[in-house]
Amino acid sequence: MADPRDDLDAWMNAQVQPLPPPPGTFELIRKRARRRKMTRAAVAAAGAAAVIAVIAVVPRLVITQLQLGPSSSRGAAAGQTSSAGPARSHASTAPATPSAAGSGSPPATALPPAPPNFAATSVTFVGTETGYVLGQAGTPGQCQGPNPDICTSLAGTGDGGRSWHGVSAPVTGAPDGAAGVSQLRFYDTADGWAFGPGLWATHDGGHTWSQVSTGGLRVLALETAGQRVFAVWARCTGTGSAWAAGCTSAGLYSAAPGSDQWSAVPGAGTLSGPGGTSSAALVLAGSRGYLLAPDGLLYRGPAGSAGAWQQVTSSTGSSTGGSPSATASPGATAGAAPCAPGSAQADGQPSAALLAATTADGLVLVCPGTASGGSQPKAVYTSADGGQTWRQAGSAPAAGTATSVAGTTAGTIVLATTDGIEVSQDGGATWAAAHGPLPASGLRYVGMTTPDQGVAVPADAGLHAVWFTRDGGMTWQESAIP
Amino acid sequence: MDRLRTSDRAAAEELFSAGYPRLAGWVRRLVDDDDTAHEIAAEAFTRLLGRWSTLDNPQSYLYMIATNLVRDHWRKAGRERRALRAVSAGAPADQVYQPAQDVHVRELLQALPDRLRSPFLLHYYAGFPVRDVAVLLGRPEGTIKADLYHARARLRAALGDTDG
Repeated sequence: MADPRDDLDAWMNAQVQPLPPPPGTFELIRKRARRRKMTRAAVAAAGAAAVIAVIAVVPRLVITQLQLGPSSSRGAAAGQTSSAGPARSHASTAPATPSAAGSGSPPATALPPAPPNFAATSVTFVGTETGYVLGQAGTPGQCQGPNPDICTSLAGTGDGGRSWHGVSAPVTGAPDGAAGVSQLRFYDTADGWAFGPGLWATHDGGHTWSQVSTGGLRVLALETAGQRVFAVWARCTGTGSAWAAGCTSAGLYSAAPGSDQWSAVPGAGTLSGPGGTSSAALVLAGSRGYLLAPDGLLYRGPAGSAGAWQQVTSSTGSSTGGSPSATASPGATAGAAPCAPGSAQADGQPSAALLAATTADGLVLVCPGTASGGSQPKAVYTSADGGQTWRQAGSAPAAGTATSVAGTTAGTIVLATTDGIEVSQDGGATWAAAHGPLPASGLRYVGMTTPDQGVAVPADAGLHAVWFTRDGGMTWQESAIP
Repeated sequence: MDRLRTSDRAAAEELFSAGYPRLAGWVRRLVDDDDTAHEIAAEAFTRLLGRWSTLDNPQSYLYMIATNLVRDHWRKAGRERRALRAVSAGAPADQVYQPAQDVHVRELLQALPDRLRSPFLLHYYAGFPVRDVAVLLGRPEGTIKADLYHARARLRAALGDTDG
């Protein structure tokens, strides 16, 4: 018998035969990289507007991947009852080529239609024109794929929401206890995640999805930037659609975007909350990440590496005026932010502390009080030094319950509530109601892609639409899906 | 919009000139044909240029991206092979030159879990120090060393089985 080391050592030690590039390769990749960078810059301008948990606004050219993936060749026929588009057919026939994925070439074939009855729960945008929504669509029992009762679906747009088409979706259901997904993020043309409570990943632009083991923990939030993806994993006992309820501990985990090898972030891997309920707010602002832990302590760390995160040392005697952070809420942990996340909303976001960023050091924290009779006090705090000091900038209008907040590098703060959308252009001191035919039951999420452009998801998924702004949040227009 | 600064572009072009042939050749031993190797190498360089200013170690980043792209290619190729087998049983396979040893070891590498395969390729095959691999993959050095040990053990066991 041959020594088993022979083949292995010979293979490892064999000389690599250089493969010279075809003529023009460097120029080709330089142009391609530049095109992607432009897209990324558009999103970076939105700063960390994007937010805590519901939706990510991610740069990069994903649309070409959609066109080149098998979805373009598998097409579900128009009118076909399909919740996930053609994506959940596993018969791949079109080779996906990495180089083509970023080439920005025009679509070669007609895109498959978006599935009917699309109830969007999350949106992720790639630049200003290209994005995806995730939700449930079709009719259980009549959805396409290995299990016709599973109707989790994705739709994509390449023209800023003017039209939508079907995109691959993970074969899992709506949130039900520890299983299913409700939220979506993409890192680049290849890597994306569907989560909340489960965690599914694609590394081929949505062509295929696979489940990532979280050891029984549920994913409340996920954001990606730089060269990492971060997520809040929590131990929860909620059942059915209340999957984010009864969370007793949480931790921050991260991975390289192309890998499914997640590990606890040093310094923020285990975070406990008071009173048996817990959630956490995660925001990535350029190269910096922020995590508002269940106990109200703010952690900060590098968003582009696997480095350790550290607790932000708060100052209680802020010279900036207003209410100092550590004394804002009775019984708060010493050194904590003005409010703690509290229990999670239905989508995993905190209910009692909504966090957003305007710049790497500029943070906005909305502290909703107890809702009563359709209104809720909403104190707004800001920090200009990465959470070391906070000042109460003002209060948002009391109407509705706060659900989501976004910031832009222009300093605009956009607040989604169950009553509509409120906008502040002076750092939270004064607020104005957004215009447009906004949904009567309000919004569950808002994110700003650029200082001008943003997207919002209605609280009522049955509206089969998302909303867009192109003037910094002041006016909004409906975009029906499909 | 952002372009590479002249000095950055020169540095990138220099890295491309010096590194592309080896990277493409490195990938070529892991995939079936030259075209795929070029596609993966070009995509890895594209992603590298996109993050040029933020990288401490462009060379190792390049190989990590290539490793991930190779993995993705394997997954797709596996699906396609299965689909093709279903519709073209009995048809002659493409005649592509594949050194037997390459194919043999590659199949075993494909069977390794990602957790073990990535450090193995980056350390033993691409030649990066354990410390660099640990930074790239976001895992402690001790974990990488253990993964490398287990990867080698699995591969040798598999080779022993097949040789025996």
